Amino acid sequence: MASLLKSEWRKFVYVRANWGLLLAATFISTLSVIVTPFILEADGAGELLGLGIDQQPAVDATYANGISGYVFAIVLGILMMAGEFRHGTAVATFLTAPKRGIVLTAKLMMAIVGGMLLMVISTGISLIGGYFVLLGFEDAAQPSENLFVNTMLAAAVGGAVLAVIGIAIGTLVRNQMLAIVGALVYLFIIDPLLLALWPDTGKWLPSGLITAMLSIDISAPQLGFDTTDYLPAITATLVLLGYGVVFAAVAIATSLRRDID
Amino acid sequence: MTVEICFESLVKQYGKQAAVDQLTANVQSGRITGFLGPNGAGKSTTLRCLVGLASPTSGSAKIQGKNYREIDNPLGLVGTVLDSRGFHPALSGKKNLKVVAAAAGISDSRIDEVLELVELTEAAKKRVKNYSLGMKQRLSLAAAILGDPQILILDEPANGLDPAGIAWLRKFLRNLADRGRTILVSSHQLAEMQNTVDDVLIINRGKLIASGSMREVIGDGTLEEAFLKLTEVR
Repeated sequence: MASLLKSEWRKFVYVRANWGLLLAATFISTLSVIVTPFILEADGAGELLGLGIDQQPAVDATYANGISGYVFAIVLGILMMAGEFRHGTAVATFLTAPKRGIVLTAKLMMAIVGGMLLMVISTGISLIGGYFVLLGFEDAAQPSENLFVNTMLAAAVGGAVLAVIGIAIGTLVRNQMLAIVGALVYLFIIDPLLLALWPDTGKWLPSGLITAMLSIDISAPQLGFDTTDYLPAITATLVLLGYGVVFAAVAIATSLRRDID
Repeated sequence: MTVEICFESLVKQYGKQAAVDQLTANVQSGRITGFLGPNGAGKSTTLRCLVGLASPTSGSAKIQGKNYREIDNPLGLVGTVLDSRGFHPALSGKKNLKVVAAAAGISDSRIDEVLELVELTEAAKKRVKNYSLGMKQRLSLAAAILGDPQILILDEPANGLDPAGIAWLRKFLRNLADRGRTILVSSHQLAEMQNTVDDVLIINRGKLIASGSMREVIGDGTLEEAFLKLTEVR
């Protein structure tokens, strides 16, 4: 197992696309955080949204955008698995280590580490960026007491679970492009739509769960956004981890059964 | 002489189509065995079943009495070249080998040795996407011998090699066989195979149609004549 983990770590570090994902996640997260105070303070925006930067929920919402890079964690998982089939490296991987369950376990463990690293780094940098931008707003409220801890925890757990889900998608849909497009359509369109239209269902899905882990209460009905009814943070964490376990089992079961082309 | 590789009533079906049909054959140790057949005869499918990438529908394909998936750290026993893919195009040849070596617990110093053996030392740091087909084949061979295996399984290793490369491959394989290695090699290059291999297995439409030493199979003619005669009749 140690040798397989070393091999997976080398793949993770050598492939430049992974570094590109980290850069992209950091850019998107930081941009989302640092522009939010300016949007909230723009003429009329505060009234429209019912929030101003002098209110704690607005500051919490600003920092909460630090987890915006989570979509890249799922892409990372897909690249780690479907990329093996795209480039044919799955053949070398399974020739070297034919016990597929062990290979998949090593890959899932690397996905957990990779997803966590991606999210912790991108979220951490965005929070630091947000802190310095908010220093420029004299009337900015203080964030909730545990916001930074909750946000970093949500980033770490969310990154790990989404990367695991990405691995499972990569074993099921070996066409890398199709897998990525499908995941993005789900995360950008289907998940937010379900959250907005049927929040009782949507709050059990990944985006709602990761937001619930932040433990922030933001009500912006004008935007169809109300976190006050989301699951408690602990429950959301457990449900998200449950998704991770189910998808990991699917990934291992799928890889055991199918021939490698 | 001992049997290193044994196919026993091997069947691999895709839907109703049998790609390999009741194949029974042995590969002896310390010899180069040519695995021949027309396109679509089932050679690659047979080799994929042998190395655990495809599951047989029935029957078995074993190496030293074991299924490939049962072998602990197989690179120390079996080296395999299946096609020129299998390497990440954006990584250098050396980095690709470092990934394989790490998984097999092989030291990085062995990578330089095998790159030298396949004469790729100068291109070691070039990205694989900039390799010619012949260079990719050499890199595949380098990966196959990383663990200094007793057995080599090679699917069309001469593809993409120029005449000098083919001559190099012949010498390379003969050198390995002289050191007691067992080699199972599939190829379409019949004249080349006649000069290289000791034993022959010929399959057509998934079935074994001839096997034995080169002399037994070709008699007084050439391998090409024997091959065409055997595959035409069926």
